[in-house]
Amino acid sequence: MANKNVSVWSSISFWRRSAAWVTGFAAILLVWLTFDSVGQISMGTDADLQKAVAEKKETRRVPAPTVINYKIGYAMDAKRGHEVPTIGEKELFFGKEWSEKDAAALLHLGKLTSQAKNCMDCHTLLGNGAYYAPDLTKAWLDPNWEKFMYFGQKTKEEGIAYFLQHPAKSGVHTRKMPNLGITAEEAKGLVAFLKHMSSIDTNGFPRNFSKTVNQFKTGGSNAH
Amino acid sequence: MLFESFTDVVPSFFGWLNQGPMTLTIFLHTLVILPMFWIYQSEKKKLNSK
Repeated sequence: MANKNVSVWSSISFWRRSAAWVTGFAAILLVWLTFDSVGQISMGTDADLQKAVAEKKETRRVPAPTVINYKIGYAMDAKRGHEVPTIGEKELFFGKEWSEKDAAALLHLGKLTSQAKNCMDCHTLLGNGAYYAPDLTKAWLDPNWEKFMYFGQKTKEEGIAYFLQHPAKSGVHTRKMPNLGITAEEAKGLVAFLKHMSSIDTNGFPRNFSKTVNQFKTGGSNAH
Repeated sequence: MLFESFTDVVPSFFGWLNQGPMTLTIFLHTLVILPMFWIYQSEKKKLNSK
């Protein structure tokens, strides 16, 4: 082949082939990534959850709605370098154990209410929303609820439900939540929604949740 | 660290890809940039034989 001193850089067909390759490859990768993400964020079943509790090994990022029947914790995972939700022993939720169907219905009501009342206008849920009010992703685990003695209610879930129905009366931050006219049933749904959300493995999001909790415990503010 | 141990909750290709900053870089350079050298050479050959 003779060296004809050709210019590949100014050849249209070189750029066309390169662009087709890069675009095509990126498209395939993104379609694959989409299906991979869908698989990881789809909700597990009650059977998955029971197996995870029995083996003390979490295999689903998003557990079944029946997770509201269990104690949710948050523990540092040294290997992963951030905190992960833990699912402990059973505990009653609003005084009863919820069946798979009832738990799913309650969670659905909570989700619809969170959308109808537009929580994201001020709060952040799983990374979506605003930071005018506290992040709700791990709100169920917030020590504020204990500190304020569940607003005179017996359990944490009843305390949060009470707060949601009487937010201005029981404001814990300098910025008070407005009264959104949440009914008792809707409040129950929202609490289930929050408890379930705190059990989702979010790869340690929101970052440094425990750090702010510790700051709060030593007298600092947890309103951020 | 160039490669870090896989610690994600669900083993997946994209989880592996995202473990450290270098894994994604090496992967993209291998699969995107290297074939462009081949495209370059084959275009050069085509232009030379015209």
